[in-house]
Amino acid sequence: MPIVDTFGQFVEKWCDTAPQRARWLLKTGWEAQNLKFRFLPDRRLIPADRYLARLMMDTMLRPLQHPEQCAIISVFTPCELLQEAGLSPYNAEAFSCYLSASRAERGLLQQAENAGVSETLCSYHKTFLGAAQKGLLPKPRCIVYTSLMCDANLLTFRTLAQMYGVPLFAIDVPLRQTEDNVKYVAGQLRELAAFLEEVTGRKIDAQSLRTRVGVSRRTLEKFQRFQRLRAGRYIPEDLVSPLYCGMTNNILLGTPQEEKYVDMLLRDVQSAPPKRGKHIYWMHTIPFWSGAVNDALSFSEKAQIVGCELSQACPPDFDPEEPYEAMAHRLVYHFLNGSVNRRIEAGIRHAKEAGADGVVWFDHWGCKHTMGAAQLAKKQFEAQGLPLLILDGDGCDRSHGGEGQTATRLGAFLEMLDQAGGTRDE
Amino acid sequence: MNKLYYVCKYTPVELLTALGADCANLNGMPQGFDRADQIAHPNLCGFGKAVLEQVMAGEVKELVLVNCCDTIRSVYDILADSGKLDFLYLMDMLRSDGTCSRERTVEQLRDLAAAYGVYRGAAFDIQAFRRAFQPVERGMEPYISVLGARMGKQLYDMVSKAMPYPVENDTCVHNRSVGEAPPPEDGDFDSLMDWYAGELLRQLPCMRMMDNTGRKQLYRHPNLKGIIYHTVKFCDFYSFEYMQVKQEAAVPLLKIESDYTLQSSGQLLTRLDAFAERIGSHWQEGMEKKMGKGYFAGIDSGSTSTDVVILDRDGRIVTGVILPTGAGAAAGAERALEEALSHAGLKREDIDAMVTTGYGRTAIDQGDKSITEITCHARGAYYLDPAVRTVIDIGGQDSKVIRLDENGGVVNFVMNDKCAAGTGRFLEMMARTMETSLDQMSHMGLKYHEDITISSMCTVFAESEVVSLIAQNKAPDDIVHGLNKAVASKTAALVKRVGGEERYMMTGGVSKNESLVKTLEEKLGAALVVDENAQLCGALGAALFAMDMVDRS
Ligand code: SF4
Ligand code: SF4
Ligand code: SF4
Repeated sequence: MPIVDTFGQFVEKWCDTAPQRARWLLKTGWEAQNLKFRFLPDRRLIPADRYLARLMMDTMLRPLQHPEQCAIISVFTPCELLQEAGLSPYNAEAFSCYLSASRAERGLLQQAENAGVSETLCSYHKTFLGAAQKGLLPKPRCIVYTSLMCDANLLTFRTLAQMYGVPLFAIDVPLRQTEDNVKYVAGQLRELAAFLEEVTGRKIDAQSLRTRVGVSRRTLEKFQRFQRLRAGRYIPEDLVSPLYCGMTNNILLGTPQEEKYVDMLLRDVQSAPPKRGKHIYWMHTIPFWSGAVNDALSFSEKAQIVGCELSQACPPDFDPEEPYEAMAHRLVYHFLNGSVNRRIEAGIRHAKEAGADGVVWFDHWGCKHTMGAAQLAKKQFEAQGLPLLILDGDGCDRSHGGEGQTATRLGAFLEMLDQAGGTRDE
Repeated sequence: MNKLYYVCKYTPVELLTALGADCANLNGMPQGFDRADQIAHPNLCGFGKAVLEQVMAGEVKELVLVNCCDTIRSVYDILADSGKLDFLYLMDMLRSDGTCSRERTVEQLRDLAAAYGVYRGAAFDIQAFRRAFQPVERGMEPYISVLGARMGKQLYDMVSKAMPYPVENDTCVHNRSVGEAPPPEDGDFDSLMDWYAGELLRQLPCMRMMDNTGRKQLYRHPNLKGIIYHTVKFCDFYSFEYMQVKQEAAVPLLKIESDYTLQSSGQLLTRLDAFAERIGSHWQEGMEKKMGKGYFAGIDSGSTSTDVVILDRDGRIVTGVILPTGAGAAAGAERALEEALSHAGLKREDIDAMVTTGYGRTAIDQGDKSITEITCHARGAYYLDPAVRTVIDIGGQDSKVIRLDENGGVVNFVMNDKCAAGTGRFLEMMARTMETSLDQMSHMGLKYHEDITISSMCTVFAESEVVSLIAQNKAPDDIVHGLNKAVASKTAALVKRVGGEERYMMTGGVSKNESLVKTLEEKLGAALVVDENAQLCGALGAALFAMDMVDRS
């Protein structure tokens, strides 16, 4: 994430003595970055991805500018209801990424650990907690999260709600894919609607919600179409665009902005040149800060990332006419819910759709679910003819890096793909 | 017949029993994770790996899991793939206990009953179901509670042995309370299951339930004398509760972490003993020795050095020696004691009482008593400077921070975990990487130019960072300063954890490291007292305790 990192030091420093000032600096730094995205975008990116960088930065800035209009959410919280209630997403995982990109993460992680949080908690959660504890992050209107995919949600958001003294709503997503479970979740989402109405004093309009869930469905369909089209194309990529997309496809799903993004993708792919080098499909988060991964995959004609698992939610087969059931369906049938085999099968399908030559399974330190499944994944991907590299690291905390190792492993993997023959043209 | 193993208190044990299962809680601690590491990532929680290990060793044939956490879900996925079990089932427990959840739980019970019934070829035996409910009894005497993440059997036994009061295991699966009320007299399977689901969900919630407010009663019991808060390495749930318990509990609290292997119990034992000393005061019992010549000795048997202090009847230091421990703790202690005696011109009989401390303390049979280094360090530091409130001890293998009250008693303490970072060993390894000696290194870094930050805390990663800094031709002083900063921030974090306050004293071998002391002072924003006898602190405290044992009136 090419955010000027010098000011991160000061953010970190001021946090201890003057959190308000640190927050102001963070906001100013990010605003400056946003201006740069607007007037001096990275011309190597396709227009859609340039737009995405701005969209993401706008989304990140809103909680700093108008925290009282924002809800802290976990990344998989269905946001259509929040949008209808006029609340913007204040997303924990994305904030941690940006704080880390601003190089302010060290002191924040330390803060959380000093408070007693285990060293092994996922750094996306730990950074956010530390920042909240230090007073760097402003108080939201409310907090909404789902139990989907990881335990850390339950722990972090419960703690944050106590700390800020704001209302908390939890969506419990059971493991199995059954219609009873969809009903159970839909019931909770109806309660969420009532909760949001009470918190904001704004009525959620049923028709407009249907339209919005319709937008969500269309967005996912178009994204799927794009992923198939990109299989035979060369699209220059950095490390953050696929990651941004993983975030926005969740937290902005249902907004016209996100639909605009996928529309732009569909347009850009038409004029993209034929495939060059290797296509790498990425499972789980991307350590955007890693020089080693950057060197290997950023704007390289030899190998590019062609998609990140996080940007896929579920098959776009839900019915917007029943918006609560539709959103519940998305959670219960989310590719990351349930037995890990679902996740692996979806990964294989999506990797193939995007014309992947190889797959990286990123074992983000502290993500038990991802680490736990790594070896099963390797077996199954490779059985389907997709070489898979298990890469250990951390998406956010530089001290879990091991750059030398990353460079060697990733380098060797790419060499291995090269030796396995020319590019697969589809 | 195979046992059916379960791991969670939400498991419908009574239902399974009624279907002919012989249920037992799976809670062993293996020697190591050789088999588990072959099929899973080493960063799963220790319990998860213990389950994998025991299944792969063929010790378990039937297993019912609950989707407690990410680790257990992964363990299920891995085991399902391994095909090692005759019966494996994952219950999808919801995280809330509302009406809706109760209905969904009934579904789960039916589904599990059907699956196990088919596997076993057995039908639900309603009489056996009723018989399976055993009321849970609990005494009313003073007790110590183990809270937090589940505790392995062997560790629990060790804890029970070490504590001066009965120990209740209130962790995870162990505070299962189904069976407080017997099942209703009439009713068919469906209505029984409805009642049963309610009973399962009505238990004291654990940390994975969305609403877990009831848990406070665990640490507010009037007969509670102390809390041992246990966490499992790579488990995140319980550190969150610990944050709260730390602030709210009114009784002494000790936090320990285990990785569910039998190793590392040595270090835990030291801390458990120190805690027991804090709660009970059984070491004060033996104050009935007769005064002879009026000399008292303390031996501190550490992993690198063995120190001996001899005091006279007025509590003045007669002599203090420091010798390398060498091959065995007992032999090392013997040598150090002889050296000290000859130095002081004394004989063994002249010593009226002797107390041993340190890692090797229990291996030495010379002494009259052994006391942990925590308590001894505190006592010694208080002797050297009664104004001291926080002792920072960085030794060769571990580091610890001890908070004292105004009488020199231990209020709180932490020890650094198994990891080398933040100990003398870390610096030693880095000195080796830089091809210099520890001694030289302790003078380097005082004058640095570039403020380098070593971001890795892990020794292996830090080493490769240092190698690349050397390759970049960075000045040795700058690198050493960076390393000192890393150790200092690790140490400062420990200081924070115990709520350290001035005045600070630094003891242990690393206190001689001038440049590190300076960096740590900067990090803490306070001066560190380094006494010339700093290294003898533990032995000194032990000698003082020896003095207590003798009736000097
Ligand atoms: S990286 Fe893993 S542990 Fe961290 S927030 Fe994401 S899913 Fe949870
Ligand atoms: S923590 Fe709770 S849900 Fe998890 S195994 Fe223990 S009792 Fe069961
Ligand atoms: S110790 Fe923690 S991570 Fe391990 S099984 Fe129990 S709750 Fe899960």
